[in-house]
Amino acid sequence: MKSLWWKCLCIALLLYALFVGMLTPLKPGILNISPFLVSSGERVSMEVEAYNVEAGKEWQAYLKKDSLSYLKASAVELTNGKFKIDFEIPSHIPSETSLQALTLLITDERNGTLVYPEGIQLKSSTNESTSSWLKEGHPRLYKKEGFLFPYRNILRETIRNMYYHVPLWFSMFILFFAGMMCSIWYLKTKKIEYDHRASSLIYSGMLMGVLGLITGSLWAKATWGAYWTNDMKLNMSAVSMLIYFAYAILRSGTEDIERKATLSSAYNIFAFITIVPLIFVLPRVADSLHPGNGGNPAFGGEDLDNTMRAVFYPAIIGFTLMGVWLGQILLRIKRIKEKIFFNKIDF
Amino acid sequence: MKWKHVWTLLRKDFLIEWKEKYVLGAIVLFVILSSYIIYKAFQQVTPMSWNVLFWIIFLFSGLNALIRSFSSELSRQYLYIYQLAHPGEIILSKIIYNTAVLSLVSIILIAALSLFTISPINDYKLFLLAVLLGSIGISTCFTFVAAVLGQQTSQSVLMSVLSLPLIIPILLLLIKITANALSIVDDSNIMSDLILLGGIDLILFGVAMIIYPFLWRL
Repeated sequence: MKSLWWKCLCIALLLYALFVGMLTPLKPGILNISPFLVSSGERVSMEVEAYNVEAGKEWQAYLKKDSLSYLKASAVELTNGKFKIDFEIPSHIPSETSLQALTLLITDERNGTLVYPEGIQLKSSTNESTSSWLKEGHPRLYKKEGFLFPYRNILRETIRNMYYHVPLWFSMFILFFAGMMCSIWYLKTKKIEYDHRASSLIYSGMLMGVLGLITGSLWAKATWGAYWTNDMKLNMSAVSMLIYFAYAILRSGTEDIERKATLSSAYNIFAFITIVPLIFVLPRVADSLHPGNGGNPAFGGEDLDNTMRAVFYPAIIGFTLMGVWLGQILLRIKRIKEKIFFNKIDF
Repeated sequence: MKWKHVWTLLRKDFLIEWKEKYVLGAIVLFVILSSYIIYKAFQQVTPMSWNVLFWIIFLFSGLNALIRSFSSELSRQYLYIYQLAHPGEIILSKIIYNTAVLSLVSIILIAALSLFTISPINDYKLFLLAVLLGSIGISTCFTFVAAVLGQQTSQSVLMSVLSLPLIIPILLLLIKITANALSIVDDSNIMSDLILLGGIDLILFGVAMIIYPFLWRL
């Protein structure tokens, strides 16, 4: 029972990550706006499709240019999850360029603030411009209370992939690192036990990596529109998986136990050193669409809020423990196989 | 480690190569034949495809040339060498020797490809620097994998499977740098790529030097 506590912890954390990560609703957000092209001096009536909104107390809508320029809507109406918002756009706009991106804010005390960043294009028909639009002070923005995940445009519900895809890669890397340490230890001590440990950890890490690729691929289909793209980060992680498949081939291609152990330990150390630039350096040199590169959200302060952290960190620990557990089972299989093998020879 | 030993081992390798001229001839012929196939198969070679073709032929002729770096000698001969020299000296001499072979292959390849197709290189200094850095990295990887495999029977199959994924980061950087030397793309920040390539070379070299002494006895 003493050695069982961390397995219970692993199951508890993974169940927690699965249920809380999947069942917690998102904050309300804006799906799409039509028309998104407006011109100065006209009166527009926008249809805005919203997500996860409930009946509000008092809806207010604003068009935002910068922190000094807000334009309040003249009327906001919510029916069946759709807003009808009327704006009277003045003929003078707070900019010199003829095309401007505006942010739509819809706010309510109970629903919090719905944001559609830079989703509306404003075309100016005159050359008139003023420094600001601000008339009636800053709008009051509310925050929806409760344990809810943030709503991000395009990402939407796929934001939950953060609790499965990213921890899988984390645990893969931790397992590979542990495997490399075992390999180093094998080369130092020449005890076959450490090689068994190394290979078990590597195999369970490979499972994590393949699952990470699959979850990432599904996510890419939902957000980028394709299962696989020419993105640097994707291809480099695929290459690192190939390197470890080569490790598996090397192991199965060598007969002699001691020789297999030494060769695969050496290759394992070399492989780990190679995947460090593959995963951590090269994607930072090239442009990438992957979150965490080129201004895309990842672990930054606003992108990973406290509700997400509450699921994300336990998920990392849970998946890593699961990897170790799997590795332990593989290790036991290897020990039993070894015993059977040597018994047969002795008889 | 003594440089004198490294020098002697290098001299031995070059002497063996000089005695068995057919190996070197085979490599040169492989390079020229591949260039000729490209000349016949491609109607028109653009600088972009020239760049990629260069590295692909370089890779496979290098693989062909280096595959025998640890299996060319008999294991009894090896026992003798290991009694005389430290394993670090042996792997160092092999890496230097293989880098020299790869550099030779690349020079012949540049000449052959330019003769048969086009010669799009604008910045020879950058191109040759990239080739040199690439040769060091690739020969370190190939030599290390050849050392790992040693005299295994299924060596040639495993060699490509084990070494090709390892050199992908080097190869991608090389293609990017030489694209600059061919003026296909213009990247003002090419220095950082060169430093990165040198860094990868250095790490691989260091790891190979550290691990090989554990391997040689097999």
